[in-house]
Amino acid sequence: MTTVIPGSRLRRGFDFLPYALVAPLTLFIVCLALIPALFTIVESFFRVNPLDPPDAFIGFGNFEALFANDAITSSMVNTAIYLVIGVALSTVFAIIFAVVLQKRFFGRSILIAILILPWALPGVVEGIVWSSIWDSNSGLLNSVLTSLHLIDHYLVFLGQNQLSTIFGIELVQVWQITPLSTLLILASLQNIPADIYEAADLDGSSPWATFRRITLPLARPGITIAMVQAIIATLNVFDQPYVLNGSASTGVSLTMETYFISFQNLNFGEGYALSLVITLITLLASFLVLKLVYRPVEF
Amino acid sequence: MKKGSWPRRIGILFILIWTLVPLYWALNISLQTDAQATSKPSNYLPPSPSFANFAALLSGNSDLAQSIRQSTGNIFLECASATVVTVVLATLAAYAFARMRFRGRTVLFYGVLATMAFPAYTTLIPLYRILSAFGLVNTYLGIVLVYVSGFLPLATWILYNYMLSLPIALEEAGQIDGASRMQVLTHVVLPLARPGVISTAIITFLFAWGQFLFPLVLSSDISTQPLTVVIASLEGRHLVPYTLLSAAGILALGVPAVIALILNRYIVSGLLAGSVK
Repeated sequence: MTTVIPGSRLRRGFDFLPYALVAPLTLFIVCLALIPALFTIVESFFRVNPLDPPDAFIGFGNFEALFANDAITSSMVNTAIYLVIGVALSTVFAIIFAVVLQKRFFGRSILIAILILPWALPGVVEGIVWSSIWDSNSGLLNSVLTSLHLIDHYLVFLGQNQLSTIFGIELVQVWQITPLSTLLILASLQNIPADIYEAADLDGSSPWATFRRITLPLARPGITIAMVQAIIATLNVFDQPYVLNGSASTGVSLTMETYFISFQNLNFGEGYALSLVITLITLLASFLVLKLVYRPVEF
Repeated sequence: MKKGSWPRRIGILFILIWTLVPLYWALNISLQTDAQATSKPSNYLPPSPSFANFAALLSGNSDLAQSIRQSTGNIFLECASATVVTVVLATLAAYAFARMRFRGRTVLFYGVLATMAFPAYTTLIPLYRILSAFGLVNTYLGIVLVYVSGFLPLATWILYNYMLSLPIALEEAGQIDGASRMQVLTHVVLPLARPGVISTAIITFLFAWGQFLFPLVLSSDISTQPLTVVIASLEGRHLVPYTLLSAAGILALGVPAVIALILNRYIVSGLLAGSVK
């Protein structure tokens, strides 16, 4: 609820101050978010190509061209795999991490400071960091697996097999987005009153049953927001596949295709259409998770 | 407590390994020569730690060193300007939303918040075309404008929540003493809201530092490209050895890593104020 400061409003007829305070924000949002978004919607129905003027209305032509393009459909499949692996892994990891951090212990705040690191670092540099783990000539993983005699020659993890490529790339994004998910779920866990756990303990509930019946259901609000942020991140993944796998078809994401179509082929019309498709899928998927996972929790 | 202690120890160990091994590995490689770094099996510790890679990146007049230095300057300038503008504008707007009632307030407030639900890349192409229409592609101003527009909604939301949590009595006392509302903002609200402002500034700075696709599109050469874009372009050319690339990565990770380690308290509280509601 807003609390109102009693003030000059009574003396003057019209109060300019609040409008002056929100004007810069409004100007930025209107000019650099709303108008561009409108552009994306309108121009996705036009042929817009600086190499092939003039612009012309073509109805659903851009969308039809996208779905007839094998590169786009294969990047849709890739992105779906990024989404599933990324949302599942980051959510499971975050739930485990949050439970580990739920009770106070010595060094907990230092652990949280370390845990948060990958969230704070640029995704594109994280891709470079991980490339020396996945590398097929001198990577850490190959070296460790060889030392353990699990493999007898170095393997190629990225670039050849679609699933191992996407898994390797998505793990890097999971590394980046799990800290925020953990914090969100941890915040939910810390709202759970201690006496619920005491009661469960008195009733002889096993740790697993307590987790299943108390922790997990009561963490739903945090888990929902964590999953929504994971959905937005994975459906729009760009930095990690761009540096780890380049334009190789085994890992190209929809956002990468948008970039190639728009800024290499200069086919802005199709680029607009593809951004619109990604946006709609993102909103739809977020809404679905909200419906399926979210339950209001009251204590 | 006693029952849970073993699983928790394993959990703590897993968090540490999962978070730190990749970072350690990049540091380890950056301190080796190219021959050492490509040996099989890998050297798990640098055999003869050397800062030669960092020296090659930062000193001398090679093209590489010059572009790393220039892009480091660029990223600092762009992130700092975007942070200052975002925090100032978000503070003004958050104060109005939290403490004043005016026609259109609700529509405006939720309209701004709604833009956070959309993926940032929805507006990538139109922003490029708008900036190029105004001759702002490949300028600091263009990049900073885009960053500010992207970060303002979250910054406003964090500060709004923070200001709502402050006791209003002090502000009322200020008003009774004859202070104008702007004086109340600068002399009463801002000192109390300092932790919230710091959180917002840190989060905005880190977001700006992490940007890649926007500057990749919006800056076309080294005059405005941030460090992240330059490092990624080195990777793509396959001409630069991993050792040098890892050293460049460590440079780009250093600033946000130090900020995150020292100021994590503000990050955690800011992120939670910004997302849970």
